[in-house]
Amino acid sequence: MTAERLVRLYPPAWRDRYAEEFVAAVGSGPLHVQQIVDIVSGAIDAWLSSDVRRATVAAAGVRKGGRGMDSYSFVCSDSKLRYTQRDAWIGAGVLILVVVVFSALDIAARRSGLPATGDILKTLAFPGAVALSMPLWLLKGQPWKAQVVVIGVTLGLVFLARYVASLT
Amino acid sequence: MRKLHDSLADLGRFSEPALLILISLADGPKHGYAMTRDIEVVSGQKLGPGTLYGAIARLEARKWIEPLPADDRRRPYRLTGAGQRVLRARLEGLRAVTRVGHSRLAEG
Repeated sequence: MTAERLVRLYPPAWRDRYAEEFVAAVGSGPLHVQQIVDIVSGAIDAWLSSDVRRATVAAAGVRKGGRGMDSYSFVCSDSKLRYTQRDAWIGAGVLILVVVVFSALDIAARRSGLPATGDILKTLAFPGAVALSMPLWLLKGQPWKAQVVVIGVTLGLVFLARYVASLT
Repeated sequence: MRKLHDSLADLGRFSEPALLILISLADGPKHGYAMTRDIEVVSGQKLGPGTLYGAIARLEARKWIEPLPADDRRRPYRLTGAGQRVLRARLEGLRAVTRVGHSRLAEG
């Protein structure tokens, strides 16, 4: 296994920016197991880390385009955004999945003779799904405390609204 | 107000490799391979390439280091003014911790 092969595991924008010097630093010979593990974990980090994405996007902007600009144009359109188009797709997928799971639990609860539980699950389905998907895109890269506050307040307000509705 | 050296600690598992890279570059610009060799000599730690470039990307994103024109396939990096300030603050913090550790060992 060589560095040239393993570097393909990294995101395109990262490869545009670092691949050449990375391979030069590692050398073209066969790698030790430790190095392979380190490179693979580095590739996972490069896909997941907003820091690394920011570095590669900034570099792509300087270098007159290339694949990096296409892959991360969503980020480039607003420097305050920390998520990519891929993150948005993942967030949307999680949102749909959570709605489906909540709906299935709602049906299961009603069939088990628990309509009140079903009502709560039905109320929570969409706002809960939005809140749970936010760390994957809208809140990506934000401090975890801020994420906990935003998601906690969102879910708290939904519970409060549900409770007030149950009183009337 | 947040201290400068806390920013380096914010890098999580990359904070130590990042510190070693900043120390290496304090000596002058170096490319990835030269940094790895220098860090190994200075600290006895051999940074893996994935860790090295994970830390380089983070340091570059924070503008604590900056790339220079590539020399053949190797691209050297140099410490920025902000990087020097962060490194100095971190080393001062470590010096204070070391002093306390030594004094407690002496007392014990």
